[in-house]
Amino acid sequence: MLPRKLLLLVYGALWASVANAERPNFVRDIQPILAANCKACHGGDKRSGGFTIREYAEMLHGGRSGASVIPGNAGQSLLLQRITGERGPVMPLGGAPLTSANISLIRSWIDDGARLNPDSEAAKAPWIPKLELTPPAIPLSRLTSSSHSVDRFIARYFETHGGKVPAVVSDAAFARRAYLDAWGLLPSPADLDAFVKSIDPNKRAQLVDRLLDDNRNYAEHWISFWNDLLRNDGGDNYHGGRESITAWLYKALETNEPYNRFVTDLLNPAKRDSPAGFLLGVNWRGDINASQTPTMQAAQNSAQVLLGINLKCNSCHDSFISRWKLKDAYGLAAFFSASPEMELVRCDNPTGQYTDASFLFPELNPGSIPLALDDRRAMVAKLFTDPRNGRTPRTLVNRYWQRLLGRGIVADVDDLDGEPWSPELLDWLASDFVANGHDLKHLLRTIMTSQAYQMPGVHREGTNVKEYVFQGPEFRRITAEEFIDAIGSITGEWQVATEPGKKAGRYSRDWRINSTTLSRALGRPIRDQVFTERDCSATTLQSLELVNGSVLTNLIKQGAQRMRGEWKTPPANIFDSGKLSSGHATIDLDLNGLNELRLIVADAGSYSPERVLPVWANAMLEKNGEWVPVPNGVSMTVPSEKILDVRGYSRFRAVVGVDKKSLQSDISPTVRFFAFSEKPDWEHLVQVGPETPVPASPTGSADVISRIWIQALGRDATPAERKLAIKALAEPGGLADLLWSVFMLPEFQFIN
Amino acid sequence: MTREEKHIHSRLTRRHFLGASAAATFAALSGTAPLLAEESPRPTPTADTLILLWMAGGMAQTETFDPKRPTAFEPGMKSDRVLSTFKPIPTKVDGIQISEGLERIASVMDRGALIRSYQAGDLGFILHSRHQYHWHTGYAPPQTVAMPHIGSVIARTLGPRNPDVPAFIDVGQNMEIGGESAGIKAFHTAGFLGSEFGPFLIADPQDAGASVRPLSELGDGRFQRRHQLYKELAAQSPVARYGSDFQKESLLRSIESAHRLLSSPSAKAFDLSLEPKPSFDKYNTGRFGQGCLLARRLTEAGARFIEVTTEYIPFKNWDTHENGHTRALGMKEQIDAPIAQLVLDLEERGLLNRTLIVVASEFGRDMMVEGKPDKKVKDQVTVPAVMTEPKFFGMHRHFTDAGSVLLFGGGVKKGMLWGKTADERPCKTIENPVRIEQLHATIYRAMGIPANLSYVVEKRPVYVTQDGKGTAIPELFT
Repeated sequence: MLPRKLLLLVYGALWASVANAERPNFVRDIQPILAANCKACHGGDKRSGGFTIREYAEMLHGGRSGASVIPGNAGQSLLLQRITGERGPVMPLGGAPLTSANISLIRSWIDDGARLNPDSEAAKAPWIPKLELTPPAIPLSRLTSSSHSVDRFIARYFETHGGKVPAVVSDAAFARRAYLDAWGLLPSPADLDAFVKSIDPNKRAQLVDRLLDDNRNYAEHWISFWNDLLRNDGGDNYHGGRESITAWLYKALETNEPYNRFVTDLLNPAKRDSPAGFLLGVNWRGDINASQTPTMQAAQNSAQVLLGINLKCNSCHDSFISRWKLKDAYGLAAFFSASPEMELVRCDNPTGQYTDASFLFPELNPGSIPLALDDRRAMVAKLFTDPRNGRTPRTLVNRYWQRLLGRGIVADVDDLDGEPWSPELLDWLASDFVANGHDLKHLLRTIMTSQAYQMPGVHREGTNVKEYVFQGPEFRRITAEEFIDAIGSITGEWQVATEPGKKAGRYSRDWRINSTTLSRALGRPIRDQVFTERDCSATTLQSLELVNGSVLTNLIKQGAQRMRGEWKTPPANIFDSGKLSSGHATIDLDLNGLNELRLIVADAGSYSPERVLPVWANAMLEKNGEWVPVPNGVSMTVPSEKILDVRGYSRFRAVVGVDKKSLQSDISPTVRFFAFSEKPDWEHLVQVGPETPVPASPTGSADVISRIWIQALGRDATPAERKLAIKALAEPGGLADLLWSVFMLPEFQFIN
Repeated sequence: MTREEKHIHSRLTRRHFLGASAAATFAALSGTAPLLAEESPRPTPTADTLILLWMAGGMAQTETFDPKRPTAFEPGMKSDRVLSTFKPIPTKVDGIQISEGLERIASVMDRGALIRSYQAGDLGFILHSRHQYHWHTGYAPPQTVAMPHIGSVIARTLGPRNPDVPAFIDVGQNMEIGGESAGIKAFHTAGFLGSEFGPFLIADPQDAGASVRPLSELGDGRFQRRHQLYKELAAQSPVARYGSDFQKESLLRSIESAHRLLSSPSAKAFDLSLEPKPSFDKYNTGRFGQGCLLARRLTEAGARFIEVTTEYIPFKNWDTHENGHTRALGMKEQIDAPIAQLVLDLEERGLLNRTLIVVASEFGRDMMVEGKPDKKVKDQVTVPAVMTEPKFFGMHRHFTDAGSVLLFGGGVKKGMLWGKTADERPCKTIENPVRIEQLHATIYRAMGIPANLSYVVEKRPVYVTQDGKGTAIPELFT
């Protein structure tokens, strides 16, 4: 490579010194002409038609009608067509036409490559995204003998961009990646060992298959990615202004619903278990800006998530930064609106103009739009999934590539108008995805078995797409859910979630519980907006939570107890009223064999627990068939415990609830009544079950250390690390501190 | 939102590319020039620290800083006759009267400015968390991008004053408050500015010391030992040995700075137990009072932005839907002494002239009108025409046409009164109405931030006041 590069440099330098001085260039020749003639409408703050001349790059980029300059081809360049009047309206609008000398200067400047300075290279041809999708031919490359199509595209890419195709990472590093990307969990030491030891040449592909075949673990992981995209947050419903789609989403992932059907369900939630919440959006009580009605949110979200088109600006006014206009947003929204015609509202002011439903790519528009809402939604679902619409599969495969390799083939995953670093690879992946029945797992398998996915991680360089050259996957930080679930799989200490309508909790993956200070600090978003990339930067606030937060400290403390076999299942309650506000519950207990009965009232979210009056009404004990009131009744505060001596009694009955006097708006009582037959653990009053599989207690320090290192980092401890770890384990709280220290290591927190 | 989009650009000066020196700047900026964020030159700051004292839940202006004709409770009285349930009292400033129960604040009124004409946004059917979001970000939700809290904007724009003290500290608000938790969390965030500029949350000021001290679980000895172990392991880890990279370095660095903060002398500022008892007692009217004391200590230690709230919990604190008179009495007992003491203490320490204190609420209250007189919205409280019981006596409806804001220090004119409301119902704003964008522009001007400063999100500018159009109220500055 070097000699050729050197030659080019020498040649370039000579060329510059001899011939360049006379060539037309932007700074000297063109910019003054534009400034003199176009500034009123296209300079400074003015961007008529979305076009501005204030910067070279922006000027070339053009406005809403498309690129202004096709370097090397003045005849096809809109800039020239407009000033010559070849394409209307003729520019400058209402001003004197440009002189023929200036026009010919602009013409020769474009034909010469539309250079910035005399020494600059010719401007790059503008990238014009296509809508249709045709599978590109799979190239041959001298750099690979692989039959994997992605490898062939990548090898050809390296051939043109220079450099060697990097070797793939070790088995252990691959397994860690694959487990995290398919399941969101770390491989257990035994699984990792078996994988590394296998001599099957096909073992990596087999592992990917095996992982993806586990529908449950796959769904438990990928649901977080889709929750972020679809703004689905189970816990928060904004007074009914939002609706959970968790049940549908989980099932769609678990059954690997084909993506075209998945999209259709989202856009046309016609069935009872359809995800109606997606089109509903997130709505706050009260009046809202016209650009944020549920219908407009539906247009914005579906365009952003499914098509990689940002309609946010042009939901209010014609966009200044893209080709999209106000009527485009309303045209899409009119597929989702009660009335088939929508009035355009510009910056919250009605315009008196109306639009029918119209797709963003009008070439796909059918002849007529049906009147009924159901039919319009069915139609828009068809348009999004139309075989002629390559935008939907491209957007999806680009998101998956970004999720798995850290950076999209089009860098901005929310703007698929951007230029891919390999248009052929993007189009092949999208075509292959469609040809294989829109199968999301097929797509994952295709990417994960490619060499590209298996190359060593590279550091994220500048974000300017013009400079980006693919070198391998970027280092990714593990997500909040992966972090917290890793603690579960290493120590057996999982989060506890309570399913709706149930009293008892369940050990669960982190996504199932509402976000905590810990998961929010680690980047789990508040899903009021669409999130397509997590904020995973390391900050001091985040570290304060990691270093000193009670959520992580407790998880690790209890995890260490479990690992040491010291975890004792807390005493089980014999009665749990569930949360009570204004209602009541009946307690009726068999006391035979019990010595004592412990009655407990715990707060469950009252605004003023100290003012809540809990009531154990008609508290009676039975002895020999006789019912007697509990001596002195049961009077308690919140929270408190009362111990009754019940030897000799056979039953206890009462009705529990809160006294009407405490049903005040500023008290808002919410309490929970429990009964225990032994001393309870106040931290664990609610039943949780079934117990999680706790990894067998390690046999000694050496075992503990290996287990932590192999599972957390994918390798055993080095002798030096082992020495440090042994010393730590000898101290009080040593295991918890060792776990914490390993969890803080970049090697743990990054996918290498 | 991708990281590229979150890549925030801000510029101090606007560049005119088509001006005289265009050729020179073009070469430098072609190709990689970031999108411009429009901005005027920065005003000279008159304050370095902002303390926002948040009267959460809608503080009744006619029961606090804008008293009207008082009426005592009598069974059988007509509800619509009642404007204020407390008597007015004089203040240190001639011509400014406030409500009884605020005698301490009255005695420091000559240090501050009082705005009586704050008009909350017209957001329809009232929802507290939505108005609070609007107040704290300048934008009404829903929004297409996550908007940053004013504290995050200030933290992002000005940075910390002392690197060992988080730039944005939020005191007193629990995030789990039942039905409106989502609404509260939605604006206690740095939003698109990135989590680095988010709030350091301290729900209970009594716990503040513990929040910046190694957990009692660990104790100092184990805390230091654990950190040592971590550092040694990190140094051993192959990743650390095989060179550095930005992401990993920043992870190591962030743990280091958290550790430094937890071990730093500045952490003592968080610890209220170190405050001498007589001084603690002056503030100690409850959590809000303790929060004010914490704000004073943190200001001394070099905090940039501190919010102390009476805490929003639906139907509690200033959210008076019943027993309004008694409840307002209780709230005034909570706020009067600590606010006045905070002003006096900062003054005594020579910090008041560089610290802006803002006392504000999402909207005001009235006995009869929900919303605005000419834009009434759906009622949430039943008010009987004739009052039979004291529980009906008070300002129970949400009034958005007028509310009071107090400003102290930070270059604000002393003894100033701005805006006026009508003496009879509806007690509308009749002079110098102030909307959120003006109030924010005024606060930003004091902090040296232009109201049209913008950050580029998804390739478009988002301004710190709506559309960059906020204008500061010049009369409020000396």
